[in-house]
Amino acid sequence: MRGRAAVWIAVAGLVLVHFGVHVGVGVGRGAPDLLTVALLLAAREVGVGTAAGIGFGFGLLEDALTVISFGANALSLTIVGVLGAITRDLFVGDSLAFLLSYFVIGKWVRDLITWLMMGEAIRQPFVDQVVVHGFVGGVYAAAVGLVIMAVAGRWREVPR
Amino acid sequence: MPAYVPESEDRGGRRQRGLASLFLVLALAVLYMPKGGQQDLAWMLRASLLRPFLTLQASVARARLRARQVEDLQVQLDSLSATVATESALVDENRTLRSILGLARRVGAAFRPASVLRPGTPGSESMFLLDVGAEEGVHEGAPVVDAYGLVGLVREVRPHTSIGLDWTSPDFRVSAMLADGLEFGLVENRRGAFREADRLVLNGMAYHESVEDGTPVLTSGLGGEIPRGIPIGRIDGVAETEAGWRKSYWLRPMVQPASVTHVLVEVGKDTLDLSRAWPVDSIRTRDEALDEQRARADSLAALTDRVHVLRARVNELLRAGGDSVTSGAPGSSPGGGT
Repeated sequence: MRGRAAVWIAVAGLVLVHFGVHVGVGVGRGAPDLLTVALLLAAREVGVGTAAGIGFGFGLLEDALTVISFGANALSLTIVGVLGAITRDLFVGDSLAFLLSYFVIGKWVRDLITWLMMGEAIRQPFVDQVVVHGFVGGVYAAAVGLVIMAVAGRWREVPR
Repeated sequence: MPAYVPESEDRGGRRQRGLASLFLVLALAVLYMPKGGQQDLAWMLRASLLRPFLTLQASVARARLRARQVEDLQVQLDSLSATVATESALVDENRTLRSILGLARRVGAAFRPASVLRPGTPGSESMFLLDVGAEEGVHEGAPVVDAYGLVGLVREVRPHTSIGLDWTSPDFRVSAMLADGLEFGLVENRRGAFREADRLVLNGMAYHESVEDGTPVLTSGLGGEIPRGIPIGRIDGVAETEAGWRKSYWLRPMVQPASVTHVLVEVGKDTLDLSRAWPVDSIRTRDEALDEQRARADSLAALTDRVHVLRARVNELLRAGGDSVTSGAPGSSPGGGT
């Protein structure tokens, strides 16, 4: 129960730090996508509906800061929330390999869907935005996610 | 991680699936809802949940400026040489504000000064927030300028804030003309292979006319939305020719949006011509203006050196003249002159 509370505190903290760093301080791609990390962490704790709601809320917040592609982040994070929650029923245990791929693929899927929804006029080339930045951003997010899970005591190799 | 327990098919599981479907439909609805609704929703979130972060950005910008000033003062106290080496940030800020003040005098009361904030989140690269809005007279489509030319256009207006899009936005389109006012075209953004390669292009120019590189391109005022005479960029080579009847040219933009911190925003719709604010011979980019200032400072330094050399030479001559006078005087000892 305490571990669960720690995860929710970490999720809230990640959201605050994400907007604090990206919007408040104005750090661009140098800072990791903590919003996706927070969503992926939360999605492992709740059902698909709640995860979708959290993703939708996070996405709307992010969309409020973009004029041209409003709604792209809301849809992508809702889908990532749903997929993240589904993995709870499909994969048992938290091995390093699983968590690493969970965060990398989660972030990459988010970037892919956002790219698809952005519209042809404003999106960057697929290779640049999804393949390169999506993968590097995924690894960056995975590193942060693993540290947070370890700190929150939710990383266990063997399921209880 | 909680133990694997399948969700109850009857209650929890079905409810969760229903919720997930609802949020997916909502997300799709948000994506395809009318622009006005999207803008209202975004504004509500910016004015409520995101407000602390936007306020933080303004505070951080102010603190950065203050820190820079404090550092400069400290350095000035430490030593004169260190001051010369590190005062560039303050000098740069002063230069920007002075140029904006100078421009404000030239464009008159139809423009209001504003600070630029950038959200810094993915997808918001071309967007900037201004700390002036409808209450101050800002209107949709109003041009945003700095001392060197057109930065962008206001896209959305709220009572005390507004949102603008700079020329790197794919929606950016401005009716334009060459500095001589004889050739007209349309300036728009052309996406590059990657974001940093985005360029401006002047479309719709007559095929038989050739335009020299470096020729300034200004807003034409056609359509009545944007006043005539605001610099946009300089011609930088032919982009493409089409079927022997149309040419388009690359433009080197006058303004690099990322470096803009203070701007002027049009607050009335009465301004028709701003040619006097940017006379053709004074149109230059920020880098060109900096180079010019540097060259002026260099030649001033060279002149100062020359004056010092001449002064030293004159002193030497005076001393030599004094020596010869004293050594030639009756009763004086050799080498005893001062």
